[in-house]
Amino acid sequence: MKTLKIRAIVDGHAKGEIIYSAQPIAFLQGVDTEKGSVSDPKSPIFDQPFAGKILVFPNTVGSSVGAYVIYRLKKNRKAPKAIVNQTTDIITASGCAIAGIPLFDLPENAISELSSAKEVVLDTKKSELIIEK
Amino acid sequence: MLLTKVEEKALAGEYGEALEIAYRVLVAIGKISDANRLIPIKWAHVSGVSYLTIGEYGLDFLKKISSTHGTKFRVFTTVNPCGMDIENWDLLDTPADYADRQLKIISCYEKLGIANSFTCVPFQSYKVPRRGTSVAWAESSAAVYANSILGLRTNRESAVSALASALTGKTVYSDLHIPHNRIPTKNIRIKMEKKVGRALAGSVDYGILGYFAGKNVPGVIGFQGQKLDLRITEAKALCAAIGTTGSSGMFVPNSKEKLETIDFTGKEYEDVFSDLSQSGEGEAIVFGCPQMTIEELYELSRMLGEKHFSKKCLVFCSSKIYDMARTRGYAQVIEGAGATFVRDACADFTPMISALNVDSVETDSCKGAHYMRKVHGVKISLKNTERIIEENTN
Repeated sequence: MKTLKIRAIVDGHAKGEIIYSAQPIAFLQGVDTEKGSVSDPKSPIFDQPFAGKILVFPNTVGSSVGAYVIYRLKKNRKAPKAIVNQTTDIITASGCAIAGIPLFDLPENAISELSSAKEVVLDTKKSELIIEK
Repeated sequence: MLLTKVEEKALAGEYGEALEIAYRVLVAIGKISDANRLIPIKWAHVSGVSYLTIGEYGLDFLKKISSTHGTKFRVFTTVNPCGMDIENWDLLDTPADYADRQLKIISCYEKLGIANSFTCVPFQSYKVPRRGTSVAWAESSAAVYANSILGLRTNRESAVSALASALTGKTVYSDLHIPHNRIPTKNIRIKMEKKVGRALAGSVDYGILGYFAGKNVPGVIGFQGQKLDLRITEAKALCAAIGTTGSSGMFVPNSKEKLETIDFTGKEYEDVFSDLSQSGEGEAIVFGCPQMTIEELYELSRMLGEKHFSKKCLVFCSSKIYDMARTRGYAQVIEGAGATFVRDACADFTPMISALNVDSVETDSCKGAHYMRKVHGVKISLKNTERIIEENTN
């Protein structure tokens, strides 16, 4: 069992299946809020539903209005259970804060460790991410 | 981040849901920027007003915030332009369902308490606090102007973070609020004069410089090589273009810092120009991205005199500046030349440009060129105001 250090940006616990994108995500015009998936065909997770999963991607790009898209995902019940970034920016931080989605980033450059992980546990108290599978 | 007892209570929801959400946003931003406290601000400027940008998503959220009992903005708050002329919304075929949703967004903001003008140049219409004052301004062009020209301190806020600051009267003490961060991180050396034989002048040149600098420097930009002309027209064009292409929130003219330096020569100028300007001429003219200032309306009226536009011309400004321009007689000259004023709206994020039903637009704005092409799919012809008037009036 491998563990990674995490930093909580929006507190919360989560456990479950992860969906991993090595590429950044643009929420405005890059995410389908009805389906709950990335709508950019160039994305490695194009069209794969992320609702109820732990969404892992390096960082966010694009318009600051993206925060409202994250909020909409939550209202549509299509939001990820939690988000893990390499580096979190103001768009994702403010979006997850208003939507109440637990959000974490990684103090060490370790996101690629998650590329083949299937299930993880996020523990805010210990600031740890445990790779279970 | 260390919170006061009152801030802790607000975060725990003791003062209602809207403040709880606002503090949650500030705390999250505090964590990513390793800030240790919140500081009071004197002015919040909130973006995310046009229905074309925030859509149903934003409207849902604003409804929730503004319907929390007793919720009001705690500091002086201005908001960005919206997507239409509010008092004259059927101008140029704004669709009725768009107008309906736009009015709903506006009524949410009005309930929370905003100044009565929808503008991306808020410093034109309201008294600017003294240098060194912390504010929280979204709208990148205004934030860059605030830091670089007005000496105010602000980070480049997002629609949601500026809203949180308006609700709480506070912002996160980080980045450009801290004096020692307000120095250049990279220099741009302007080498136009020697190579091309002329110095940069006018809004198109300054826009091109800003567009290049914003793309190449993510932090504070230092300019060298030419004494910059920072009168309002040039400064506004420079700041708006810096905000368009990157994440920089400030520039310093005449940088003395010894740093990594990027040259801006005739080649860089031509590269940006040919990227932004794809057409020799445009079927319609758009002025006012960012919105026209009173100085620019005076200049426009002076250049026009008795002339008359030979094609459709839209002039974007705030209602407050429009009223001033009417009192002073500039608006009558501009309208007499056949131009249409669009008040309180954004030239880029309005359905009006698409409704013009043209394939190309002439403008003097690099920011406008960037967004109008992206949002409305029109080709752009980038020219200075003088030349646009010379070629398109009789």
